[in-house]
Amino acid sequence: MRIQAVFEKNERVRHIGHLDIQRAVQRGLRRSGLPVAYSNGFNPHILVSFASALSTGACGRREIMDVTMAEEVEPALFLEKMNGAMPPEMRLLEARRVEDRHPALTALLKAASYDLTLRDPGQAEKLIAAVDAMMGQDRILAVRKSKSGLKECDIKPLIYALRGKGSHLYATLALTERETCKPGMLLDAMKNAAGIPPEEEVRMLVIRTALLGEDGEGRLAPLESL
Amino acid sequence: MTDYNELIEEMLEKVQKAPRYTGGEMNAQVKPWAEAPLHFAFCFPDTYEIGMSHLGMKILTGIINEQNWSLCERCFMPWVDMMALMKEKQVPLFTLESRRPLREFDVVGFTLMYEMSYSNVLAMLEMGGIPLLSADRGEEDPIVVAGGGCASNPEPMAAFIDAFMIGAGEDLIVELNRAILDAKNEGLPRMECLKKLAQIPGVYVPAFYRAEYNPDGTLKSFGPVSPEFPARIEKRYVYDFDHTYFPTKFPVPYTDVVFDRITLEIMRGCTRGCRFCQAGMLYRPVRERSLETLVRQAEALVASTGYEEISLSSLSSGDYSCLPELIRELMRRMKDRRVSISLPSLRIDSVLKESLEETQQVKKSSLTFAPEAGTQRLRDVINKGVTEEDLIEKVRDAFEGGWSSVKLYFMDGLPTETEADLDGIADLARKVVAEYFRVPKEQRAKGLRVTVSASTFVPKPFTPFQWAAQDTIPVINEKQEHLREKLKIKGVNFNWHAPNLSFLEACFSRGDRRMGLVLKRAYERGCMLDGWNDQFKFDEWMQAFADCGIDPAFYANRERGKDELLPWDFLDCGVTKEFLWREKEKSDRAEVTKDCRQGCNGCGIQRYKGLCSYAPRKEERHADPGGI
Ligand code: SF4
Repeated sequence: MRIQAVFEKNERVRHIGHLDIQRAVQRGLRRSGLPVAYSNGFNPHILVSFASALSTGACGRREIMDVTMAEEVEPALFLEKMNGAMPPEMRLLEARRVEDRHPALTALLKAASYDLTLRDPGQAEKLIAAVDAMMGQDRILAVRKSKSGLKECDIKPLIYALRGKGSHLYATLALTERETCKPGMLLDAMKNAAGIPPEEEVRMLVIRTALLGEDGEGRLAPLESL
Repeated sequence: MTDYNELIEEMLEKVQKAPRYTGGEMNAQVKPWAEAPLHFAFCFPDTYEIGMSHLGMKILTGIINEQNWSLCERCFMPWVDMMALMKEKQVPLFTLESRRPLREFDVVGFTLMYEMSYSNVLAMLEMGGIPLLSADRGEEDPIVVAGGGCASNPEPMAAFIDAFMIGAGEDLIVELNRAILDAKNEGLPRMECLKKLAQIPGVYVPAFYRAEYNPDGTLKSFGPVSPEFPARIEKRYVYDFDHTYFPTKFPVPYTDVVFDRITLEIMRGCTRGCRFCQAGMLYRPVRERSLETLVRQAEALVASTGYEEISLSSLSSGDYSCLPELIRELMRRMKDRRVSISLPSLRIDSVLKESLEETQQVKKSSLTFAPEAGTQRLRDVINKGVTEEDLIEKVRDAFEGGWSSVKLYFMDGLPTETEADLDGIADLARKVVAEYFRVPKEQRAKGLRVTVSASTFVPKPFTPFQWAAQDTIPVINEKQEHLREKLKIKGVNFNWHAPNLSFLEACFSRGDRRMGLVLKRAYERGCMLDGWNDQFKFDEWMQAFADCGIDPAFYANRERGKDELLPWDFLDCGVTKEFLWREKEKSDRAEVTKDCRQGCNGCGIQRYKGLCSYAPRKEERHADPGGI
């Protein structure tokens, strides 16, 4: 059986990279004393996977891990044991049982929602004022960094939703194995639309608030509810 | 109090490896500031990755936090990118936990593990908003204390540290903190507080001692400025090692640190008496932890840290009396949790084949041997009780057991070393290679790798070589060149280090108070992070010596006479000067001294009743007629 758990990566540990977060979870699982399953081979590791890597510097409010257990474990017990074994910076919020044949998290993932806090009020005002005009364009050009170098692309189809309020931008952006719009790409396009020179630094705190998949009717819905 | 949090957050977005500064690890203790009246900042004068690998830091921070009247936060040396930002934004050096500047703590403590971290101490003090010189500190400034292996010759740091802790810190740090808190509560002025500290056994307060020099630069006299202070300071010991404090949980770093695993200290001290080894002399006598205690600690630590590896640590783990039983028991218990056991500092003459085979079951890393010298004559000089047959036999066992990677550690520049001794290193490497090919092809693991490392010998205080001259840099360079040529052997890699760092280390390890002037000058010239190759500025150091009119060769390359007053003679670190001189004379004659387990050698520790289990029990005289 597998257990899927929703967890948080808070401000204090936001600079920890994905590999280190993975290791922290592995060690947490070990500390929990729960009957986890191990991989075979020379360097056995605990079978745990994640919906998506969260960038260094970003916080996550509802990240998801998927743990394969060696025995049946009640989700409530999983939650209790793990919260006793993880640092308060990485609290678990909920857990549920999923069947072995339940699709992998990465296969279901379609998009993610973000709360982007802009540190500079002046910049925030300009950026938010430019949202409607930018979304009204036919194409929104942004530069994507890929293995083959920088590539210009149209990110409009990758933006599911975008609105601004106060010093925050709220965005829902595509996040699949094939097509992804990172918050940084969105910001570059918005700077362009708002007339902020590219070399001007815009400081923002990235908080990923939800990981989304598609429900039966093709609507975006939290991955943990699918 | 200014709130630097916003600025710190901004800086963290810009630096490499921000987790060095953010804390929040599993088991990191964060005590509310108001909950304890005494605030201690534990400073490790190197980066987070190095400091967090250090067991002593985990033990002492644990002890301080365990007292309900004291709290301890951690602070490390920032990397250059962070330092530049801190300077630009005028943010003082802060602790990981509450992000307070060092100057807001009551006590700021440094652990001195190696000489080349001294410049970092100065940098951390200054960034933390604390005057560099002890003499310049005022009533509002923290008391700056230091301990650790290098405190056995505190003199080069005497101007910067208010009080040194000599010897085992487990009890001492609590007594020291208590005295500082009492002084604070009584509202004693700084000087009165330091006077109280100077009365605690094992505490050295440099301000109350004066050094005078002869015209030739050697020490003329050293002693307290008033009879109220002890003339000799005795180091502190742990008598009941099996029951001494050991943390059952310690912080688990998120990012890679140098030693990212559980360290079990199975033993303290070593019975072998290698003459170059300061740790072997300083941490006498040998004391073991019982198997039950170790198993209990291992269980608790695996449960609290979730680490996947346990390493057994001591100066000579192979000498632990029930090593095979310990390994077997740990493996039996840890197997289902996939926790591996590793043995560092494996001595070639001590580990049983049986336990080799058992470790291999779990983890097959490369095996390390330390013959230290290339010929039997030189090994006798340094009292490294290892023979070539021993080494070859152990290497054969390892190759037959499926290892293919072997590391051999040597030192160059040992006293009396000749070309023949250097050639001996190459001979030994060649014999190790031959041993590998002697194992039938289908039995041995593929990919032979013999790594020969040569480090430059640094004479240390409280060793029989404390009087010895270090080879000069040109001589070392020549020797290394010779070795490079001789070690062009298939399957053998040669690692060496430029001798510049070892030369400076030699200046500090046997330095007096005047080395403090050089240190300050070098720091002003921009020297810090000297342990990092890309940051080490040897030319600036040499310029600092010149600026101060001090000749480094006086410290590094000069042989001392028997009667010279040495800067650290006022400390009683257990081994007596008479014993060390006897050992030096035996070394001149290439005469070996037996392992303490075969009988007491009268090193001086036998003066402390009940401390050394190999020393004669009652008043009976020990065998060595030259003893004290
Ligand atoms: S007291 Fe004797 S047995 Fe003990 S460490 Fe010293 S020399 Fe060795």
